[in-house]
Amino acid sequence: MALKSAIRNLRNNPNLLYVRLPNLVSFICIVVGVVWLLLLPLNEYSRQTYISENALLPGQVHAYFTGSEQNIFRGYKKELEGLLNDGQARGGQKDEAEVTAALSDKLQSILQAAGLKVATQKYEYTSAGITHQGENTYAIIHAPRGDATEAIVLVAPWKTADDELNLNGVTLALTLARYFKRWSLWSKDIIFLIPPDSKTGTQAWIDAYHDMHPASVQPLPLKSGALQGALVIEYPFEHRFQTLHIVYDGVNGQLPNLDLFNTAVAIAGGQMGIGANLQEMWGHDDSYEHRLQTMFRGMTKQGLGYATGAHSSFMPYHIDAITLQTKGEGWEDEMALGRTIESLCRSLNNLLEHLHQSFFFYLLMQSNRFVSIGTYLPSAMLIAGNFTIMAIALWIRTGYYPESKPSAKPKNEKAPTEEKGTNTIVERNTIAERYLALPLSLVVGLHLLGLVPLWVFNNVFHQYFTTTTYIFVVVDIILPLLLAAILSNGLGVSKPIIPQQYHLIKSFSLLLLGLSLSTLATLNFSLSFMIGLLCAPLSFIPRLRGSVPFRLATSSLGLVLLNLVSPPAVLLGVCWYMGVSVETVLTQAAFGWDVWGMWTQVVVWCVWWPAWLIGCVLLGSSIF
Amino acid sequence: MGTSWNQQPNPHPVMAVDRRKIAVFGAAFVLRLLLTCLFPSLPDLLTGRVEVSTPVNSFKRLQEGLFLYTRNVSPYDGGVFHQAPLLLPLFALLPDAKSWPLPTAIFYFLVDLMNAYALMTISASGQSVKSRLHSAVRKHVRWDGVSVAAWFLFNPLTIATCLARSTSVFTTSGILFAISNAVGGNSINAMLALGFASYLSLYPALLFIPLVLLCYDRRLEGPSPPSAGSFIIQHAILLLASVAGLLGLSCLITGNFWEFISATYGFHLLVPDLTPNVGLWWYFFIEMFDSFREFFLGVFWLHLASYVGGLTARFRSQPLFVITSLLGVFAVFKPYPSISDASLFFALLPLYRHLFPLMRYTFFAGSAILYSSLLGPAFYHLWIYAGSGNANFFYAITLVWSLGLSILLADTIFAALRDEWEQEHPEQVGTEVRQV
Repeated sequence: MALKSAIRNLRNNPNLLYVRLPNLVSFICIVVGVVWLLLLPLNEYSRQTYISENALLPGQVHAYFTGSEQNIFRGYKKELEGLLNDGQARGGQKDEAEVTAALSDKLQSILQAAGLKVATQKYEYTSAGITHQGENTYAIIHAPRGDATEAIVLVAPWKTADDELNLNGVTLALTLARYFKRWSLWSKDIIFLIPPDSKTGTQAWIDAYHDMHPASVQPLPLKSGALQGALVIEYPFEHRFQTLHIVYDGVNGQLPNLDLFNTAVAIAGGQMGIGANLQEMWGHDDSYEHRLQTMFRGMTKQGLGYATGAHSSFMPYHIDAITLQTKGEGWEDEMALGRTIESLCRSLNNLLEHLHQSFFFYLLMQSNRFVSIGTYLPSAMLIAGNFTIMAIALWIRTGYYPESKPSAKPKNEKAPTEEKGTNTIVERNTIAERYLALPLSLVVGLHLLGLVPLWVFNNVFHQYFTTTTYIFVVVDIILPLLLAAILSNGLGVSKPIIPQQYHLIKSFSLLLLGLSLSTLATLNFSLSFMIGLLCAPLSFIPRLRGSVPFRLATSSLGLVLLNLVSPPAVLLGVCWYMGVSVETVLTQAAFGWDVWGMWTQVVVWCVWWPAWLIGCVLLGSSIF
Repeated sequence: MGTSWNQQPNPHPVMAVDRRKIAVFGAAFVLRLLLTCLFPSLPDLLTGRVEVSTPVNSFKRLQEGLFLYTRNVSPYDGGVFHQAPLLLPLFALLPDAKSWPLPTAIFYFLVDLMNAYALMTISASGQSVKSRLHSAVRKHVRWDGVSVAAWFLFNPLTIATCLARSTSVFTTSGILFAISNAVGGNSINAMLALGFASYLSLYPALLFIPLVLLCYDRRLEGPSPPSAGSFIIQHAILLLASVAGLLGLSCLITGNFWEFISATYGFHLLVPDLTPNVGLWWYFFIEMFDSFREFFLGVFWLHLASYVGGLTARFRSQPLFVITSLLGVFAVFKPYPSISDASLFFALLPLYRHLFPLMRYTFFAGSAILYSSLLGPAFYHLWIYAGSGNANFFYAITLVWSLGLSILLADTIFAALRDEWEQEHPEQVGTEVRQV
């Protein structure tokens, strides 16, 4: 009975039902969403990793890459070192192009001598006024037991993801090529790819492998079958290493199948006795804090969606790939790394079908602990849901709950007889008329306006990025005030706006935001979560009423606070905190857009920025 | 869903309306042209989308048929092309779409503008608010023809269909011209247009009964009314004759009558191609054991056809509304639906602007449709390209899409019933509906 009367009370109190309650529910959604994420590292919510695909059999074979192969390794390394030092010693006389050509020739001759088919591919990319060019060298071992329909890729870039010279990695790839060629057990082709760097080379190669390359990239003269998996080897120093660092994030937050990561961890840890790390967490003690930190680092990389290594370019083509980086100072030498890779290749060689058993959506918090999408998705969905709840509440409010008393009909009118004279029929509980044309066109128009900064930030030359960012900070301060003034006063452009339309504008804007974020959560959870949190204040922006000084003071303060979470301001803030220059970040972003097909910018400029702008306009309109 | 489009009285109505019409049509044309020229890959991208192109309206498949046709091979060889043969000589006249995409694109833009013009005629007749047997309570709440045309021309679904050069636009024209001729009292042309639409896609033939009733109601308003029976039989014969004429022409083109019948209408009826689309059939028939296939084909078609009788009987006084709601039913339940079917339903909805105040779930239906139109491509991407999802993802979203459309449809029908009821019980206007 108490509940019934509570519901009846609620129905009779529209202010509570349509104004207070949605605010409260939205706020609770956000809080629960955040708390949910914070709970994930606990043992109760995360799970132990396991190998789902039985065919992989990680670590079940003996790895024979030892002893005499080390001599081959040393020999190859000496030859490559010779060429490199030759270039360095003569300094100015011999330019880089010649050294590169000599190295390429040497690679080809070594691989050819080992009995592999070798080919090269030249490519060139231009982004933000910078030209990137290079030449990929690659070689194929045709599987003695296969029919060239499937292949595994081993990548050893000359430059690691951190731009260090990866001499040991390249040498190891060459040694492994010679070693693998002599085995008769391969049922998949093995491709050895040596790109000049980790950013462009694999992208050009994989695009051309699938005939999706732009005109500035050469097609591949030599191909094999469908790629089943890719491993990237990085060993950029001379001393022995302690642990393997496994990098797994792909472009746009796509991840490789969890089985591949698990196999690498199982082989490195279980078979070879080398520890495995992830997300640069060196001293992981499996505590709550460290798990959370690992998860946050993973989410940041996923959310920003950039390529974290040479493996990232494989992910959009549905090829599972990871990078193995050697880290620390310890006991393990290049032979141990070689054995690990041999064992991994043997596991991949066992695959009967593409990796599909295990998870594609996961958050890792330790090399053997993860949460899957079913467990973590609700947190981003709750945050996206809060916007939808507000949008629905505002919509209902504009229809049923009279905002300004005099213009709307009295609430308790019961007599249906009067006021029939002027063709209008008294409708006691049907909805009020909504004026949608202006709100709809404003919201759609501002979302389309987002294309302008999107175009600018992807096409300006790199030296102007910093200036452009500051210009946009200023634009973001002025534009909302300008729009608010036009809306409130008309300024001869249109009729002044009525209060109902403010609610409709906010409703549509939040509806679109909630819609985009919940769609995004299924593609890139972390990005959706981050944007959702940054946009959270927009749910609660009211249009202030009251005395002029009060409105002026409150809305100015609100605008200042909102401007602190505007896209360019957040960019500047994060760059300052991380100690990187804005130019570097934006050059990287433009490069990602042009080369990797990264679409983080689209979300920022066509989802976040318009929603933020509309929030500012609504707050700014309180001034006028 | 109300707007304040053109509410103020204008001193020079004719001139101003003309100018608005030109502005809307011109803007629609320029927008399409800009989209085609600024994003040259957009039409091909849209042509490949399963939401836009189905096996029976895909422009790619038309190109394939055209290629065979121009080389004197039967276009139905190879089992890719399933569209009406008369489209082939028409497109053979246009320059090759691969090397000269613009003429074909402009042809499609013009078809879209023609469709909008037909819509304006329908709106101008006022049949949606006041017909022979029915007069809506809220007659004054309506949009003028230009707004209705704008709603159609700037609908993203219409634009996507137009840019994707889907051949559904010709069926849409057939249907819209059939209606506009019927409301204009030109029943012979209406039947010819319906014959054309039925010839192209078969299912518009189901619209015959409401359309002939619409023509009949219009005829009764004039002098010398004929008897209902002979009127309907005459028009049925006319429809059959027009279809037969088109089939005869097709036979001349293809030569082999049975081959083209089985490749086009057989394909519509038996649904052998289960490529994913936004409808409900493909997943159902993939999952089904083969022995049940014929039975359920019958059930599905019967289900689709059964709405005709029920709606026509219940809304005898508003045949135009029956056509509108049937188009909504087709958009959900026909075998190869695409977004063009939904866009046709959305095109006719604004004619019932006076029902909008009575509708209760527009926002929820609209949100469901918006959600599914964003999530649909995302889940399709996860399924086909990223490989991290599966067919159930996409099917779930097509269910939501259909649910959104059905809610909207049911809500419209509710509003129409309520309108009729209020007309009969003027004292009850505005009372709350209670489920008993």
